[in-house]
Amino acid sequence: MEEEQLIAGLRAKDRKTTDYLYEKYSRALFAVISRIVHDSDIAEEVFHDAFVKITRKIDSYDESKGRLYTWMANICRNSAIDKLRSKEISQSGKTNTIDDFVYGLESKSGTVEETDAIGVRELMDQLNEDQRFIIEYIYFKGYTHSEVSEEFDIPLGTVKSRVRASLQVLKKNLDRI
Amino acid sequence: MDIQSYIASGKLELFLLGELNEREREEVLALSKQYPEIQQELNELEEAMFALDELTGTKPSPKVKDKIFASLEQDFKKAETVKPTAAPVETKVVKLSPWKPFAVAASLVAVIASAVAIFYANKFYERDQQFTALLQEQSVMADNLNQVKLEYEQKDTQLDRFVAGDFKRVEMKGEGFEMQKDAKVDVFWDQSAKEVFVAVNNLNSLADEYDYQLWAIGDDGPIGIGLVNPGEKLTLQQMDAVAQAGAFAITIEPKGGSESPTLEKLVVLGEVA
Repeated sequence: MEEEQLIAGLRAKDRKTTDYLYEKYSRALFAVISRIVHDSDIAEEVFHDAFVKITRKIDSYDESKGRLYTWMANICRNSAIDKLRSKEISQSGKTNTIDDFVYGLESKSGTVEETDAIGVRELMDQLNEDQRFIIEYIYFKGYTHSEVSEEFDIPLGTVKSRVRASLQVLKKNLDRI
Repeated sequence: MDIQSYIASGKLELFLLGELNEREREEVLALSKQYPEIQQELNELEEAMFALDELTGTKPSPKVKDKIFASLEQDFKKAETVKPTAAPVETKVVKLSPWKPFAVAASLVAVIASAVAIFYANKFYERDQQFTALLQEQSVMADNLNQVKLEYEQKDTQLDRFVAGDFKRVEMKGEGFEMQKDAKVDVFWDQSAKEVFVAVNNLNSLADEYDYQLWAIGDDGPIGIGLVNPGEKLTLQQMDAVAQAGAFAITIEPKGGSESPTLEKLVVLGEVA
């Protein structure tokens, strides 16, 4: 389905289009959330709310301001960050690292939704120490670039270029996996 | 503009992560429309992010999907009943019984008709009240007009008499008396017709239990010829007929007037010249 068609169907509250959206994007969008919120019950609750929000706010989505996936991923990411910062989740358990994440994937191996944990580990191994650090905080802990800059005393420009460099590495290596 | 260094700045990644402020976001959007290289980089980055998310993600459990679609059921239903054409695939399946649109149309007509009826009933009631108010106003105006007419006729008759008659003006003043130094009342007297009018120029108002009384002082002593209303200034007030008088005077008397004047309460006096 073309993106235009998909958006039109969502705006018409069409059941089939919504189902298509779910099948195509739920995995990636849920990943965005569960990277930040590790408790799987809470992550699913956040995902439920975020997905409902996506279908209900589709009228406010503006195609000229970015593509659909980016818009949806940002809604999921913000919902997860909001949840993480709310009182519902104690901050004590917030020691998320890439290793924890990969470990989480590995422990789930063998279920129907098998993930290529080895692939992810290989992918992350392509990053150097600085890049890995940035990805860990921004991608897995839900920090904003300015929060990373302030908390770890790294100049904002450096944070930006490291985010870029990390994504470039990941982008290049994604094809290989 | 150095596009490569702009791309290398890391702004595009932050754009995709939703971390730019409004101004920076607008800038990225504007530049991506202007430079195909930037647009392409954005597309590639988005695809990479999606691929990364897809690769690292697991599907949420099936019960989440059920719950989401249960939450959205109302939205689908509403869309399906309101706009059946919005879901072309399902229109073939969903058959609307023919009575339904008619019932909907009929109740719509009924509601509209009621609304219109109530609207006009209100309007009618409003107009009816306005009409009643106008009628009342009109009758008040007619009364006023009659009164004015009457007054006019009176004045006209007075004027006729005044012009036709031989009136002598007698000025009565309060200068020599204690009651009201600046009091001034004029008497107009037609000796042959025996008619007397007074015109109050300046006379204090009285308490309710007193009246001003006009006296004609002739050979037989003072004769009360009427009560003077101090409020009707500079209009002619007709008094009783007098054939013979050497002077006119006004005194304050108990309400209704007295047989003979209370001289201590003499207000004004004027001698016939």
